[in-house]
Amino acid sequence: MSESNLADPAHAKEAKLPARDWVLLPLIGLLTVGVLAGSASLVAKRGFSGSTSVGEDCMVYKDTLSGGGGVPNSVCWEKVTEGGWVQYRFNSSGYRSDTEFGPKLPGVFRILIIGSSMDAGARVPIEEAFATRLPEEISQRTGQRTEAYNLALAGDGAHMPFVVRRFDYALATKPDLILWALTPWDLAHIAPSPPLNRSNSHLTKPLSWKGMRDHPVKALEYGVERLQGHFDHTDAQITYMLQHFLYKSQSQCIASYLRQADNENGYLKSDPSAQWKTDLGEFSDYDAAIEQRVRSAHVPLVITLAPLRAQAAMISMGTWPPGYDPYKLDDELRAIVVGDGGTYIDILPEFRSIANPEQHYLPIDGHPDGEGHRILAGMLAAKLTGGAVPALSATRPTQTSAMQGSR
Amino acid sequence: MGMDSASIQFVAFGLAAAILSNFSRSRAWRSAVLMVASLVFLGLLAHNPIVFLPLAGFLLLGYGALVLLQRGWSKSAVWSVLAVLFVYIWLKKYTFLPSGIFIYSPYFTLGLSYILFRVLHLLIETGDNREKYRVGPGSYLLYTLNFTTFVSGPIQRYDEFARDQFADQPIALGPRTIGLQLERIVRGFFKVNVLAMLLDMLRVDALAQLHQPLPVSLKMFAAARVAVLYPLFLYANFSGYIDMVIAIARLMRVRLPENFDRPFSAASFLDFWNRWHITLSVWLKTYVYNPLLVALMRRISSLAIQPFLGAFCFFVTFFLVGLWHGRTSEFLIFGVLQGGGVSANKLWQIELARALGRKGYKALAQNPFYIAFGRGLTFTWFAFTLFWFWASWTQIHTVFAALPMLAWLGAWLAIWLAATAFLALWELLRAGLLSIKTVDGPVFTSRYARVVYASALGLIAVVITVLLNQPAPEIVYKAF
Repeated sequence: MSESNLADPAHAKEAKLPARDWVLLPLIGLLTVGVLAGSASLVAKRGFSGSTSVGEDCMVYKDTLSGGGGVPNSVCWEKVTEGGWVQYRFNSSGYRSDTEFGPKLPGVFRILIIGSSMDAGARVPIEEAFATRLPEEISQRTGQRTEAYNLALAGDGAHMPFVVRRFDYALATKPDLILWALTPWDLAHIAPSPPLNRSNSHLTKPLSWKGMRDHPVKALEYGVERLQGHFDHTDAQITYMLQHFLYKSQSQCIASYLRQADNENGYLKSDPSAQWKTDLGEFSDYDAAIEQRVRSAHVPLVITLAPLRAQAAMISMGTWPPGYDPYKLDDELRAIVVGDGGTYIDILPEFRSIANPEQHYLPIDGHPDGEGHRILAGMLAAKLTGGAVPALSATRPTQTSAMQGSR
Repeated sequence: MGMDSASIQFVAFGLAAAILSNFSRSRAWRSAVLMVASLVFLGLLAHNPIVFLPLAGFLLLGYGALVLLQRGWSKSAVWSVLAVLFVYIWLKKYTFLPSGIFIYSPYFTLGLSYILFRVLHLLIETGDNREKYRVGPGSYLLYTLNFTTFVSGPIQRYDEFARDQFADQPIALGPRTIGLQLERIVRGFFKVNVLAMLLDMLRVDALAQLHQPLPVSLKMFAAARVAVLYPLFLYANFSGYIDMVIAIARLMRVRLPENFDRPFSAASFLDFWNRWHITLSVWLKTYVYNPLLVALMRRISSLAIQPFLGAFCFFVTFFLVGLWHGRTSEFLIFGVLQGGGVSANKLWQIELARALGRKGYKALAQNPFYIAFGRGLTFTWFAFTLFWFWASWTQIHTVFAALPMLAWLGAWLAIWLAATAFLALWELLRAGLLSIKTVDGPVFTSRYARVVYASALGLIAVVITVLLNQPAPEIVYKAF
């Protein structure tokens, strides 16, 4: 509906704009912007509202030694902005599990899962988490009765120093195998963060009607703050909604992720930054100590790396921009773990054969959804029963082949 | 800084230049502003002056040849054109030249293709004695380096440029025109930064799906999306940028030629090239098709052959259109497919007119179903040819190897039928909407409706641009 400028009469005087249009046209513009923003806000509110409570509300941050844990026998509900309602149930030991940790039954292979929020099944019902699905997958493949204890924690307890400290507790449960599924997030947050500040002290306390009458200036400030808070919240919801749809695209998911800071995506670089090298060095120290402890307890430890969303997408696409390598961290971790005498399984190359794996993650939050956990459980079961753990393998191939992995 | 794209910086720069230009109506002032703006624009594109030396040499060569022609050396016209063409091919490093003769230190070639068209136009017109342009060095630089047409055209004739730029009484610019141009800038910005970006995003995703483990039906769907989305992306990308530069130029009181006229409404491939990159096809029709046809008709007097000469000349012209786009063999095929499409279309018209008679052919050409299927086929053919436009041979091979030949044929047939139905519906809807009128004209093109579009598209474009926080998408045609 464009009009060619060549149709303009060169020197003809333009018809005058009616006086009312000088008011009407800006008003129409403002009205359009208002209606559009209002409708977007309504849609965002309906489709992208989150709960005020989160799974971490059931966590206690009792000491700096363990990093905290779940409130024993507690239940919390959470709805993240782009997901459904999820219930978090914690057992009497403060871990996300429906079963109580007790003595091992004869003939049952016990897998102990350790790690951070992804291992804890954050954002999905416990039934859908890979930790819950894994025993069933393994039992189907081997006929071996298998159970899993999940000692993974979200929140502060997800930080590596705390994960490492839980190994003593893990070994006390007499597992037949410890599985540690790392994510790049774990490496990026290898140092503990300060305890979460959950108080709302930054907000002004609500003013009573009497208080408003007595202190009109404060009342005005309070009103402005509430209004600003409302707009910030609405903005955030609209932003979240738009990002959610844009980041569903495989190419946009990768492009936007690669634009983030080095502490987020540096592990994807062919030549990681000094900080990432330091983090890997720290992991190497932790791993050496852990490997020694599990070896003396005669419990096999299997470490693997589960990809984050953009990393999975890059592997699936099979191409990535120059200067990046989605397998780089996998290679580094394998070298460290195998160097320390441990077992490492490669699941990253398996994502090459999955179409659009990024669809199985929450686009912004980044945690896998139920389908993502199902895929992970299948991959892990295939690797664990495919020779990585002799006790779970019918053919019992050599450990070296499992450690080397395949692409 | 993103000055060679449809970025916010470019819009701000263009608007600032337009405001400055309107401080005075004198031609000297407006020319000075355009010159300074164009030089600053160049300076923002590359900071090292050394990289401009080859471009400066090219401009100097063009001007030297022009001066010779202006002084009556009309015999040098052919040699001047050949020399300019050769230097252009050499600077653009066309692969058929021996690589040993190329300059290997980095230099600036952005906009060179469009400068070539302007320089050749001046040389041909002056040498032809038809329109002996008196072009001074200042006017020459203004015409060739004009920042509004520098990156991707449109290719403007000198007389049209001079008529507005050097007019003692510049063309009128009132609130209505300003409003229309601002709306056009917003629309162009939206097309490039939102619409084209989203279309390309979907295309890249579909392209990746072709190589992923999916059932054939889903791969066919992905293949169809790859084919369909690229022409739409290219249109949004190129026409959006053109919208912006035309509007900026108009705010500087210069009318640039239109480059697009709803190309996907074209019912034939011949008509398509009257509506797509119009200034390029008009240039080539003027300087290649017409002289070639006249020359051939002078030599071949057989009446039976004469109708086919047009088809042959169309092939040559549009083969050159394709070839102009790039230096590699992919563009050679692109040229063959463009030329082949246009000449096949011409031959079809000739044969149909012979078989049905003039009246019969005219009646068929007005049949709505014939038009709708022709429109669908035109879109499908163009989408098919574009594979040699955006992909390398390796990519073309992997894309076509992703599906069995039969599945590809199925995908193309589905695209044709879907394009036929969708474009027909679009035309009906458009006609329906434009038929809603008041005394001032169609409601949907009124200034009130335009304010609604501009506000909505502007808001969406700003939100998406801020949200994604990524550089403005490249303008595809700046590479040529």
